[in-house]
Amino acid sequence: MDELDLLKKDWKARNADFDNVSYNEIYKMLHKKSSSIVKWIFFISIAEFIFWGILNLFMPDSIYEIYDKFGLNTLLYTSFIINYLVIFFFIYLFYKNYKSICVADDTSTLMKKILNTRKTVNYYVYYNIIVYVILSILFNIVMFSKPDILIEILNPNHLDIKDEVLLRTMLIAQGVTLILVCGLLWLYYRVIYGILLKRLKRNYKELDNLND
Amino acid sequence: MNQIIPVNKELEHKFITEFQEHQNIIHKVCRIYTTNQEAHNDLFQEITIQLWKAYPKFRGECKLSTWMYRIGLNTAITLYRKSKRSIQTQDFDAVLHKIESKDYDATEDEQIKLMYKAIYQLSDIEKALVFLYLEDKNYSEIAETLGISEVNARVKMNRIKTRLKTILNP
Repeated sequence: MDELDLLKKDWKARNADFDNVSYNEIYKMLHKKSSSIVKWIFFISIAEFIFWGILNLFMPDSIYEIYDKFGLNTLLYTSFIINYLVIFFFIYLFYKNYKSICVADDTSTLMKKILNTRKTVNYYVYYNIIVYVILSILFNIVMFSKPDILIEILNPNHLDIKDEVLLRTMLIAQGVTLILVCGLLWLYYRVIYGILLKRLKRNYKELDNLND
Repeated sequence: MNQIIPVNKELEHKFITEFQEHQNIIHKVCRIYTTNQEAHNDLFQEITIQLWKAYPKFRGECKLSTWMYRIGLNTAITLYRKSKRSIQTQDFDAVLHKIESKDYDATEDEQIKLMYKAIYQLSDIEKALVFLYLEDKNYSEIAETLGISEVNARVKMNRIKTRLKTILNP
């Protein structure tokens, strides 16, 4: 193509157009902080691990008392133990993937490794959401199968509220909470990773399509 | 993250000296991916940091310049988070203004300006291919840098040429 070769000629002619960055300026740059996407992903991921990891620790004691009345504590503690084992497994996977990221790789490999690292954290979050939904449903089934205890807990002062209304309100509230939590999480991921990964995903797709 | 690198003055000195010699490679990456001086400096700095972070692992498997092309492009395409101030388009004219004629006739001059403008409209990946092409890299090197096959690099380059033609002759 004539135009591109013409451009090449011009491109080469402009090889000396740049201001030379001095030794001292380069030295200063080396001590500045990087703002690379990998760094962002790393910190956000760590925050997510911590968030989901310590979420359990902040449950009010009263919840355990309530669960105890339904005989759910064994199930709860078992799920905690399994949960922490799974968290450590995910952190190990994440760290392994993160460490494999090498900026000197070819572009396609580099992108794949970054996306894989991110995927590990995504799976971790999916895992948490699924466990949350399953446990919620399971606990609710158990609780609603023992309505006497539930009513006692919901209405300890025996106010003049019909049992049916009380149970129905409780059920709706639980459902709304579940949907709200899932909705917020979905939004969070859309926003955070939309901003962070949109360009990377688009570029990766373009390269990947080439190799199909 | 990896900010705390053991202070190895000797390595630092070696890096800066070598980097200085080849710094034009990085300037050229910045030229194709940014459209104003501020963004240019911003990207230049990020690439320098990435090069320095990767430097201790550089074993000389390839030429230093090859290694710099790779990390420079990878940073521009993948790692770099464009700061808001570097959002392009309105800066086109500023860039074009800088491109004053270098002993070409008026038509050629006009064409070159149009070419630069057209290139800024390409995708990040397309820019990388054009950049390596302008730098006289062969298809095998282009393919290796981007992690695609040589055939696909050729196909893509031909598509870009067609695209540039369309942009230039709408």
